[in-house]
Formats: sequence, C-alpha cells, structure tokens
Amino acid sequence: MDLVGLNMLAGWTVSGDTIMIEQMPIFGGYTGGVEETAISDVATTLASFALFSGNFHLDGPIHIRWGVTTAKETFQIAAHACAAVDHNTDLLLANQYYPMAGPMTEMCLLETAAQAINDTVSGRELLSGSAAAKGVVLDKFTGMEARIMGEAARCAAGQRVSDMNETIQKLLDIYQPHYVDAPAGVTFQECYDVTTVRPKKEYLEIYDKAVQTIRDCGLDIKR
Amino acid sequence: MAATRPLTVTDVYERFVKGKKVPESEWDYTIIPQNLTALKEKYHIDFGDEIVPEDPEVKDALFQAGLEMLVETGFYCQDLGRVMKVTEEEVWEGIKKTPKKLILGEGRDIARFYPRQGNSPVKPIIQGGPTGSPVSEDMFIKIMQSYAQEAVIDDLVDGVMNTVEGKPSKSGTPYEIRATMQELRMTKEARTRAGRPGLGV
Repeated sequence: MDLVGLNMLAGWTVSGDTIMIEQMPIFGGYTGGVEETAISDVATTLASFALFSGNFHLDGPIHIRWGVTTAKETFQIAAHACAAVDHNTDLLLANQYYPMAGPMTEMCLLETAAQAINDTVSGRELLSGSAAAKGVVLDKFTGMEARIMGEAARCAAGQRVSDMNETIQKLLDIYQPHYVDAPAGVTFQECYDVTTVRPKKEYLEIYDKAVQTIRDCGLDIKR
Repeated sequence: MAATRPLTVTDVYERFVKGKKVPESEWDYTIIPQNLTALKEKYHIDFGDEIVPEDPEVKDALFQAGLEMLVETGFYCQDLGRVMKVTEEEVWEGIKKTPKKLILGEGRDIARFYPRQGNSPVKPIIQGGPTGSPVSEDMFIKIMQSYAQEAVIDDLVDGVMNTVEGKPSKSGTPYEIRATMQELRMTKEARTRAGRPGLGV
C-alpha cells in the first residue's frame, strides 16, 4: 500500500462509497510458486477488509511469463484462494480477466469462458472483464467477450466441482499450448459496426464455434 | 448502515508511521518469500494438479496460512518503508463488520451483490467492461455501450481513456482527473444509449 491509496480511501470512506480493493498477485514473482502465491492472495484479501475498509475484493492472479489470468497456475491460485476465504467467511469476492488472445478469435473466447467457470465454481460473487489481448492494446476488447464470460458463469453455477474441473482442464489443453502463437485479434472498430454498435457476422460465427467447443468440453452453455 | 471497522484508514496510517522500518528490497526478496515458504511447509499445502479444490481441509489449511501470514508478517507501506501489524482478533472483527450485501446500480437496473457460498446455482454478478485497459477517446462511448447492451451484464467497469481533449491522460497530471471524470460521464451516456440508465458503474 502507498500513501496515495490511503488518501483515496480516506475520501471514499467519509463519502460512503462502495469500495473495491484490487490486488493482483504475480505467480512467479516475489511470492514464488502457486501455493505461496495463494497464501499471499488470502492474506491480502483479508487485509482488504480488515485494514482498508473494502466492501469487496477484486483479485487477479497473473502469470509472470505470459501476463495473463487464464493460465492453469493462475486458475489454481485464484480458485484455491477464493475457496479458502469463501469456506471461512461470507466476504464478497471478485476476479478480473486478462486473456492472451485478442477479440474475434476462438482462443480469446475459450480463455474467458474457462476462467468464468473457474471463478464461478470456486465461489466468487463477481466477475469483471474482459480485457482481451492482455488488456494492453488500444481498443482490443468488446462486449462479446463479456457475453461469453457471463454465459459460461450462468451455466457453470450450481454444477458439480469435479465435472467443472474436467471441463476447465479440457479447455486449457486446447488453448494453453497456443500462448506462444496466440492470435492477436482485431480492434472493436474492426469487429463491430460502430454506427449500430452490433458485432459483425464474422464475430458471431466465431462465437458460435467457441460455444460448440465449450459444449464439447462438458459445459452445456447456451448460444 | 455499515458499522465502523475496528481499524479506520487513519488508524492504519498511524500504525504504518509507528511501524518497524524495513528496506523494500528486504521485504520483497527476503521476508515475503521466506515467510510464505515456511507457512506452505507448516500447513502442508500442496495443490498438486487440482484446479478448484473440493476438500474442506485444503481450504481451511490455506485460509489459516493466509491469516497467519497477514498477522505475523504484517503489511508494508512502500512510501514510508515501514510495516504495520494487525492482530487476529482485529482481522476477524474487520470481517464481521464488513457489509455482506450490496446493491449496485439504481432503479430497475440494480444488481444484488450477495454472498453465494460455494458454487451456488445463483449466477455471479457479471461486471462488463475493459477493466482498466486503454480505450480511445472517440470510441469510448461505443465500446462501453457494447458491454451495457449485453443482457447477461449486471454492472459496468470502464477502461482508461487514452487521451482527453486530445492530450494524453497521464497519471499525476490534471489530465488524469479530467479523463477520469469524462470516463464517468461517457459511461453513463453509454448505459443510457443501451436502455439501461441505472446500471452500476
């Protein structure tokens, strides 16, 4: 925490604002491996409420090599940390989305859906995103990625954890080998009609293909 | 009405000021990794190949390790170079006094942000948006509208406007605040264009 953060909190608390405390533990950084990073994640989640007056916590375990939240290791950290806090408290927990691939690619949609399943099944209350192309390229994100995030979450809610673990692993097996050659995707302006703000036919077709792949992996997601 | 937490923001500041002085490099390279490794061993934490855990003992061991990490190691303020401490009782009291039910948004567009407890059949809140990613000024409303119009979205999170009035919205300059305020106005316009003027932002 720095003093800028404390100063902002001083204003928000007296204004009665809803306060979200965000923290993104880095797998492979100072905290080391998956278990150590998850321990740190639990500690800082608790600090968000006990020290910094948070109303909800926004997580975001990120992979030091890939800069994404959709890797297996970051899924393990997010799921274990969430399940640990959820099992022992009734705090409100959220996670955010930084897939590798860009918009209008099946890989981006599969990454986003896999994380949505992971977050939903582990007990999170809010999913925030999605910032495609690792959230670092101007205008490379659209409502379509949020659509798959929401639809995957809706279908995963209430499902058996063991079944969803299998689905997540199958999706990881499809996209994770392609981190090295991930499709860059296109900008919002290229995959939406910017006058009507509607996704182009090509993107809708890719979306349908991704939905079928997710169904093949074991989640009965709706089109 | 929300209860006052056992530690207010000013209490935390005072504890930082009176906390032990520790070089940031020692915190990052020695204290954090050593303590995390020790707790991993103490609580026998090993995820193996499992992604979402099912065993309550695994969840409890990780929770205890995280709680002990916070209490025994403390929290660092890099501006002051000091570590504050908190007791386990204060952590539990802070959890107890945190409101557990929030309402996001207004009117017919509200979202009820309540605890789910495990993988409940209740869908999580879907907060749509570029979540802090760079957005061009001229596309800001359209991009936010693309999220607001999705039926599955319950709430909005905006991106970061790349420029404001053509100038870079650089952190630490007046343009940062101008851009932030403009982002808020434009996000409200986007939700209105999508027919959901009460969506939380």
